[in-house]
Amino acid sequence: MEKNEKIINFLEEFLTEELDETIKLSLDSKLFGGGGPLDSMALVTLIVELEEFLEDEYNVNITLADEKAMSRRTSPFSRVSYLIDYLNEKINNE
Amino acid sequence: MVDIFLNKLKKIPSNKQAIIFNSKTHSYGELLIKINDCYNIILDAFDHKKVVVILGDYSFSSIAILFALCKHKCIFIPIISENEQEIKKKIEVSNPDYIIESSSFQITSLKGNNHSPNSYYDDLFNSNKSGLVLFSSGSTGNPKAMVHDFDNLISTYNVNKIKNLNFLVFLLFDHIGGLNTMLNILSMGSTMIIPEKREPESIAKLIKKFKVNIFPSSPTFLNLMNIGGIFENYDLSSLKLITYGTEPMSENLLSILKNKLPKTRLIQTFGTSETGIIKTKSKSSESLLLKFEDNNQEIKIMDGELWIKSKTRVLGYINHDNNSFTKDGWFKTGDLVEEREDGYLKIIGRKSKVINVGGEKVLPIEVEEAILTLDFVLDCTVYAKESLITGQAVAVKVVVKSLILDIKQIKKNIKLHCKKTLERYKVPVEIIITDKINFTSRFKRKLD
Repeated sequence: MEKNEKIINFLEEFLTEELDETIKLSLDSKLFGGGGPLDSMALVTLIVELEEFLEDEYNVNITLADEKAMSRRTSPFSRVSYLIDYLNEKINNE
Repeated sequence: MVDIFLNKLKKIPSNKQAIIFNSKTHSYGELLIKINDCYNIILDAFDHKKVVVILGDYSFSSIAILFALCKHKCIFIPIISENEQEIKKKIEVSNPDYIIESSSFQITSLKGNNHSPNSYYDDLFNSNKSGLVLFSSGSTGNPKAMVHDFDNLISTYNVNKIKNLNFLVFLLFDHIGGLNTMLNILSMGSTMIIPEKREPESIAKLIKKFKVNIFPSSPTFLNLMNIGGIFENYDLSSLKLITYGTEPMSENLLSILKNKLPKTRLIQTFGTSETGIIKTKSKSSESLLLKFEDNNQEIKIMDGELWIKSKTRVLGYINHDNNSFTKDGWFKTGDLVEEREDGYLKIIGRKSKVINVGGEKVLPIEVEEAILTLDFVLDCTVYAKESLITGQAVAVKVVVKSLILDIKQIKKNIKLHCKKTLERYKVPVEIIITDKINFTSRFKRKLD
């Protein structure tokens, strides 16, 4: 499976469990803020689980919610495509 | 005051069993002789009014040395650690003149150790009183040393009617709860059984062998006994009373204990190193509600925190500011309590352990209790995880009975259950399945 697809699958699974309904995501789907489905506690949980996922899948130990991510103009957690870009950037920088 | 206490011990029939240690029994008569012997050796070794470490845990000799030092108007410092670094740290902080190794009675002089004297020691010496130095773990990793007026402390233990009870001394020699147990036992002319090992199996064997009636314990240790199947496999019917303290008890564990030991009363104790032990009354064996009933202690609740004004309060800390004491004598315990009906209180946790999730306060015990109701969960401990978003978030380590489900499924079930029973911000963002939860040598939970 391609990396991006794996991430989307992971997100879908996470959201389905979190919201208790089947969720399908596209690259354009919103995540946190601007009417996205995640509330703040779900975001905190997502970050922890994503870090775990990256460690299991790609053997990288990454802190996702760092000062830099928080101060970006567009939050990497606002949309699926931004998050994927952000994760790829993080993985490649490792 | 110590002399008064010792004189009262002389009225206890001298053949009555005082201490059982290493399978040997020592009577009250033998104890008084031993105290005298120790006193004479110490008299030869150094002048009165010295600061002296007693190195070693509870034993027949360490108890005798303690009283001998008090008769000699010394300040004693019980240290039970076997770790050299720990011992060194405590010695540096408390600045003793001598060390007595309790098992060999070897006396080492530390003179030439020219530290600055402290006023608490001077005050005790000037007023001809014996003293006690206790340590509590400081937040920086260095132990906080505090000085008690031991003559004052011991004066609250009245030697009354002799009671034929067997106590197991579970709490340690350098712990306020441990010293309290000892002074209580001796003041009642009862018998103290000193364990060599503090493991569930060996404690159970001692309870059975010596028909122990009273067992002061901690929730973590009782939980270990439960997990280890001790209550099913040993005859503990001699137990009339189990007391528990030092950390919050979960309702779940309490009800398991009540179930498995229906004839034993379960009572919560409360005390701090700074104030001494406070006499309490539990509402019932099934209840975590308690009342303070002690003429030597006044309490009040400030902003949810328990404050105590105690007649047996420490003089102060040697190496720490006294900010936890108010000018008018109250000690801020750092323990959070809830007031319930009829003046009963529930102790809900340490102020410092409260998890602050974006301004919302979470007490570890409420999340732990929710998770413990799951039948596949054996044990769990909740702690704060740093989060850049909410400052802190709730995390939990869980021990499960056996891995029938895969780990992913277990985590899913726990999370689902928490979501159903807890507010959103209390639901753990991280669940770690582990094979055991560590605890300190004092049977309190710790995290790594």
